[in-house]
Amino acid sequence: MTFSFKRSLMAAAVGVSAVTLIAGSGLAQDNSTVVVAQAVDAYTMDPAKHSNFPTANILFQIYDGLIAEGENGELVPALAESWSNPDELTWRFKLREGVTFHNGEPFNAEAVKLSFERALDPEFKAPYFSRISHIKAVEVVDEYTVDFKTEEPFPTMLLSLYEASFPALIVPPAYAKENDGASIAAHPVGTGPYKFVEWLKDERVVLEANPDYWGGKPAIDRVVFRPIAETRTRIAELTSGGADIIVDVPPEDIAALDGGDTKVSTIASDSLYFLAFDTTRDTPLKDKRVRQAINYAVDVDAIQAALLNGMGTRIALTLPTNAFAYDQAWKPYPYDPEKAKQLLAEAGYPEGFEIPFMSRKGRYMKDSEIVEATAGFLARVGIKANIQYLEPGVWAQVSERKGREGITFPGWAGRDPQLVWAPLLITGQYQSYFSNPELDELLKAGASIIDPEERKANYAKAAEIIKEEAPHLPMIQPPLIYAIDAKLNWTPRSDGIIDLRKAHF
Amino acid sequence: MADFLISRLLYAAAVLLGVSVAVFFLIRIGGDPSALFLPPEAPVEEIERFRRLMGFDRPLAVQYFDFLGRALQGDFGMSLRYDQPAMKLVLERVPATLQLGATALLMSLVISIPLAILAAAKRGSAIDRASLLASLLGQSFPAFWLAIMLILLFSETFRLLPPSGRGTWQQLIMPAIVLATYSTAIITRLLRSSMIEVLQSDYVRTARGKGVKESRIILSHALRNAAIPTLTVIGLQVGALLGGAVITEEVFAYPGVGRLAIQAIANRDFTVVQAFVVLMAALIVTINLLVDLSYGLLDPRLRKGK
Repeated sequence: MTFSFKRSLMAAAVGVSAVTLIAGSGLAQDNSTVVVAQAVDAYTMDPAKHSNFPTANILFQIYDGLIAEGENGELVPALAESWSNPDELTWRFKLREGVTFHNGEPFNAEAVKLSFERALDPEFKAPYFSRISHIKAVEVVDEYTVDFKTEEPFPTMLLSLYEASFPALIVPPAYAKENDGASIAAHPVGTGPYKFVEWLKDERVVLEANPDYWGGKPAIDRVVFRPIAETRTRIAELTSGGADIIVDVPPEDIAALDGGDTKVSTIASDSLYFLAFDTTRDTPLKDKRVRQAINYAVDVDAIQAALLNGMGTRIALTLPTNAFAYDQAWKPYPYDPEKAKQLLAEAGYPEGFEIPFMSRKGRYMKDSEIVEATAGFLARVGIKANIQYLEPGVWAQVSERKGREGITFPGWAGRDPQLVWAPLLITGQYQSYFSNPELDELLKAGASIIDPEERKANYAKAAEIIKEEAPHLPMIQPPLIYAIDAKLNWTPRSDGIIDLRKAHF
Repeated sequence: MADFLISRLLYAAAVLLGVSVAVFFLIRIGGDPSALFLPPEAPVEEIERFRRLMGFDRPLAVQYFDFLGRALQGDFGMSLRYDQPAMKLVLERVPATLQLGATALLMSLVISIPLAILAAAKRGSAIDRASLLASLLGQSFPAFWLAIMLILLFSETFRLLPPSGRGTWQQLIMPAIVLATYSTAIITRLLRSSMIEVLQSDYVRTARGKGVKESRIILSHALRNAAIPTLTVIGLQVGALLGGAVITEEVFAYPGVGRLAIQAIANRDFTVVQAFVVLMAALIVTINLLVDLSYGLLDPRLRKGK
């Protein structure tokens, strides 16, 4: 008995040391490869066939759009070198010459036209169809000039054509037709800085540098995207050298990861955290004073400091601070619970009231924590918010029948009032729970003014109404938090797209 | 024997039909995928247009019989997210799950059978009590917690094993351990108690009286008789290892069917969920059938009786 026990102990010891010997070699770091770990794998390699950011992050290394986002968030030329508006219903793009796809197909006006015609075909069933559906026709003017025609003036065209508008990436027209689209969905070919090498489903996507990239050969030779859903596992991969960039790091892990072999890189995202109030049903929220009271009652700065480590950007109105027409002079309602109580009393609710508070849980970073902290502040002025968390599919179902009652924490993103205020505030819009005829007029006008200055002035007027009417409690642009290899030089972007064109060790 | 097989096959068909009804309607209760698939700002008209395009607006019964008719011909439809045949997506990931499941099963059998025999033979000894404690712990550790602890210890602290992925045998160790823990515990406990019961029976006493060697009594008389209830549990565990590796696959980013299924459920990717559930049900029905058949091999009485 004792003898066999000793023997098994020895066997175990030998086993462990063998593991030690072999495992040690597998973790070597490699300075010419960047491994990016995000939550899910790509769904397809066809840029017009998905609706998923992690997929977009992979495809943006392989494909280009006509326009790209520059270092400071501005839109800069990519496959298009310049653009103009010959008339209000036309956007004319002058294309970059001498660019070829990875398979040798030439990039030209015809490729642009066919890329968009493919994605705009209803039978193609592009999930992000609505992002480009304002484009009524794409016309070839000459080999390197192309006109985008719209039925109404379309001031936000450029935001529909850069990489976060997924179907706007340009595909090689002949290859995209091969095998009824199955070829490009499995083995992508673009004009981008990286060429496709292999895709092992749910395991990794491997890309290699395109030496002939029109923007110059990228500094990193090889890029690997790995899907790792569990945050702790992503962190373990980074700290043990198996990944170089990991996404969605929880704020509480920042201190541990910002130092030594790893560092943390954050940026305020284009997303919006805010509360929306249902003013369509007969509840206290119909009263403007109640909505203002809620704005006074919640200490958003304290929530930001405590739950987001002070990261992110406080917003004065429901619009990202880097959006078109955002005025840095706008101020949010200050935290003033006394004023809140006084407004509630004036509105006829000196004892407060009960109201549903709907949100999803785990959809956005710290969403449930923020919802609960907010409910705590509301309780202090007598408003009893009954929190309900809905599963995302159920949330969509409830939203579709306009069933978001009471207070909601919906989340949103968009860098133009037309992309944020129009869908959220114009009377009768599917996601709007608010109605104000004067505001409707301004927002509808803003949708079709091409001149930027005139458009800004229009939205400044809209902003005054929104501030006064308080259909929302604007909170924070939450941060995007990445942890990366300390030797890697890479800058995150506010729209959440990962761009490795300029990354280097 | 033939009667038995036919009745079991009919039963299997009924189970699969029942499963197909359940999965088809349950997954649709929470709404269709249109709104989740389109961008958040997509207007309601756009969602409706997409729904019509995909045929989600048809009555559920019509959709079900359409699905059933195609499924009988082996066509489980296209995945909405991946734009590829649903069954192909599931089958592509089966080898990875099989590899992990087989490793875990082997691990748990290699540990649990000798441990249970030893514990039963030396009942009340230190090793018996240690095995009971270990099984209790093994059955109560949540897989998720155990997985994270292993990663913290072996990947982050000692840097011995890669925390995730597939391709090398090192990447198989931690997920297999997590997956094997529960099965090992449950098989050890069950086999031990069955063995103890058998060891107290009259024929064992008789054998001892006749002077048969104790090792022969344990390995031949006791183990063979104690194997039947254990085999049932092992059969169930095989099903659990294949279909239930979801959490383990998720934590270790292991590219198996469980991970695909989780994402498909979250995305309301109906066809993939259906293909996964039907395949798993078929697998478990098959395993149960094999277990039933193997009883006859172990116990001649069952062969003749029916």
